[in-house]
Amino acid sequence: MSAAGPAVVVAAGLAGVGALAGVFLPERWQPRLAPRRLRASVVGVCTAGLGAAGLVAGAAALGGARWSADLPGLLPLAGVHLAVDALSGLFMAVAGAVVLAVAVYGIGYAGHGTDARGVQAVLPVFALSLVLVPAAASVSSFLLLWELMAVTSLVLVLAEHRERASVREAGVWYAVMTHLGLVLLLAGLMLFAARAGGETFTVLRAGAGGMSPQARGTVFVLVSAAFASKAGMVPLHAWLPRAHPEAPSHVSALMSAAMVNLGAYGIVRVGFDLLGGGPRWWWLMVLGGGAVSAVYGILQAAMASDLKRLLAYSTSENLGLVFIGVGAAGMFADAGNQKLAALALTAALLHVVNHAAFKALLFCAAGSVLRATGLRDLDQLGGLRAKMPATAGLFTVGALGAVALPPGNGFVSEWLLLQSLIHGFAVPGVTTAIVLPLAVAAIALSAGLAAAVFVKALGVGFFARPRSDQAAAATESPPSMLAGMGLLAAGCAALALVPGVLGDGLSRAAAAAGVTGGTILSGGSLEVRLDRISTVLSPLWVAAALVAGVLAVSALTRLVSRRRRRTNARLWDCGGGAPTARMAYTATSFAEPLQRVFDDVLAPEQDVDVTPVRESAYLVERVRFQRRVPDRIEHRLYRPVLAALSGAGQAARRLAGGSVHLYLGYGFFGLVALLVALTVIQ
Amino acid sequence: MSLLRKIRDTGRVAEDAPPRPTENPPPAAQELGGSVQVRHIDAGSCNGCEIEIGSAFGPVYDAERYGARLVASPRHADVALVTGPVTRNMAEPLRRTVAAMPQPRLVVAVGDCALNCGEFAGGYGVEGPVADVVPVDLQVPGCPPRPEAIVAALRIVTGR
Repeated sequence: MSAAGPAVVVAAGLAGVGALAGVFLPERWQPRLAPRRLRASVVGVCTAGLGAAGLVAGAAALGGARWSADLPGLLPLAGVHLAVDALSGLFMAVAGAVVLAVAVYGIGYAGHGTDARGVQAVLPVFALSLVLVPAAASVSSFLLLWELMAVTSLVLVLAEHRERASVREAGVWYAVMTHLGLVLLLAGLMLFAARAGGETFTVLRAGAGGMSPQARGTVFVLVSAAFASKAGMVPLHAWLPRAHPEAPSHVSALMSAAMVNLGAYGIVRVGFDLLGGGPRWWWLMVLGGGAVSAVYGILQAAMASDLKRLLAYSTSENLGLVFIGVGAAGMFADAGNQKLAALALTAALLHVVNHAAFKALLFCAAGSVLRATGLRDLDQLGGLRAKMPATAGLFTVGALGAVALPPGNGFVSEWLLLQSLIHGFAVPGVTTAIVLPLAVAAIALSAGLAAAVFVKALGVGFFARPRSDQAAAATESPPSMLAGMGLLAAGCAALALVPGVLGDGLSRAAAAAGVTGGTILSGGSLEVRLDRISTVLSPLWVAAALVAGVLAVSALTRLVSRRRRRTNARLWDCGGGAPTARMAYTATSFAEPLQRVFDDVLAPEQDVDVTPVRESAYLVERVRFQRRVPDRIEHRLYRPVLAALSGAGQAARRLAGGSVHLYLGYGFFGLVALLVALTVIQ
Repeated sequence: MSLLRKIRDTGRVAEDAPPRPTENPPPAAQELGGSVQVRHIDAGSCNGCEIEIGSAFGPVYDAERYGARLVASPRHADVALVTGPVTRNMAEPLRRTVAAMPQPRLVVAVGDCALNCGEFAGGYGVEGPVADVVPVDLQVPGCPPRPEAIVAALRIVTGR
């Protein structure tokens, strides 16, 4: 018997206990004697246990176990259907691992409005929904869990709504966009269920083959738009850079590292597994959306000076890379090249895992900074390396993963992704010859920009001198937060050094999605074996070579240098006064050259306001300079739509004049019109 | 092409190398092994000495052929070439600049003002000669000193 079933039951039980603890336990245990956070600790332990159970269930499924359960009594009419295969197992394991680490972190992070009853009660439910969404095996169960996830995350995003008005605005954006997504998903899946003649995934899988290409295409477009908005794809990303920064940091970590992944899961599950693959234009759409998101997301991250906003845009970028892999896999599968498809899908799934590890770590580290200083603005941070050495080190591990350079973990999956695209030229056709080089260029550009982004985040945020009193007074985080981040950092390191251990699981997941191309990764090294080509990358050796190289260079400089090393010299300040914090690079100044390069894409807004003194126009009293880099897509796409909607709403107010007679008239004419319409149709 | 033609037409303008100075180099200079990086510090000069330093490193006197090279930061420098009487505002920056240089280091005072405040001695804004502020290893007298004299002093340091 597999461990998956009992683990899912344990997870559900722990979620229930955690939620009840959140509701009924007092916030503090004996407030006067020892101010311990009772509620947060109990909820945190339950949630961590839930995460561990999810991880166990997922790992068992990745190991080849299958488990399914039908609970007809749990929901009226349809009942609940759950099934775990390797593909859901991968996403359950990722969600479980992230939940485990972040829950440990959250025990120490509590406070800042996250101690409240509602927030603590909802947290375990949100965690459970993250673990269970991939296990859903019918349309109704999937939609129910999906909506549970959306609503609980909304409550958590709004946790600090009393402190900042911007939280409320972010909440509205998130609520509207996630529910528009749900509407699309509902429409798509209901159409699918109606055509396939049933709502369990087994029936859908069987019925998909008999559907017309138009119906399949409509289902895929609707569903993939919904999943793309959950994954923060451009142009449906507008909620992401608002909700992630405003949510409490451990919730941001959960959302960014576990929730957005489910967008990718949805596309793979519906596109590959349920619909059984599709024509090329589906996957071109996915690939194109991914490429645009990757470049646009990281470009906006380069401009952001809010640390969490930067990380949120980077999420958009990384999910874009995942979508490039998924799209490429679909194209290769459509062309009949299962090996290449398996390679691309494996790369995409591995990037999901890697991104989850480093992004959860980065958001947690950003949360530590926020807790210690109350600041998210990189322009006001700085000097934290000396004050919070452990957090700075952990942030470095995460940033190394995010820049896609060895020995970080992001490098491994991006390397695989590039391999799959470059070898994709083996697939004949004009489309691949045009699209694949563009995709490679998009990945290369986004990887280069990512390096700039994380040099900025680390260098400006943690090095140099503190640029504000809050940053100067920062203190290191409590042990439980460091422990949570330590778990994630260990995960990053393991993924960076021995990604091969995931090899069998990833190929089982790809096989569960219907792409059977054999094992791509094995052992400690990554070996790409195609028909005629084979490439090997051994991350462990790369890391060892890098360490040896650094040691050799530093030893050589010591050996060769003839003069003594001076350590007591004062910082060179050009002979003038001591350098002040104002002389250091800020996030804005660091990004300025990039902003000039991408001026046409970003369209920054600049405003210089000169106030002369009253006596003479030539004497300046005050100069105000303002520069903003707004999200251009949001500006150009959403503002007109929102303005039109609000205009229509204003116009419609004239219909509701307050007269009861008028309203009765509307009802009467409405009924008559309906009856007339029915007669005509009949 | 016009540049190449110009080079051909101009030919070599550098003067022939005078005989090597016979003075013993300061002990610190022996560690430098004939390659000397020079940082110039204007501690309050009238800029007469700067013109001569400029021409000492120019194509005619070409101090670089003896192993001396001007650099832009005291962190890279072995020799500080100080000109002018040290003004009050420049006293502390001069001390810091010399302190910022790696060891072994030398200070060369260039011009009469650097040696004894010259024309500006007793001025209200003058702190004193360079030797009062930082230890001086070599002196180049003159108001302003001729470029040959500056080159000769640098050749003592480089030993070439």
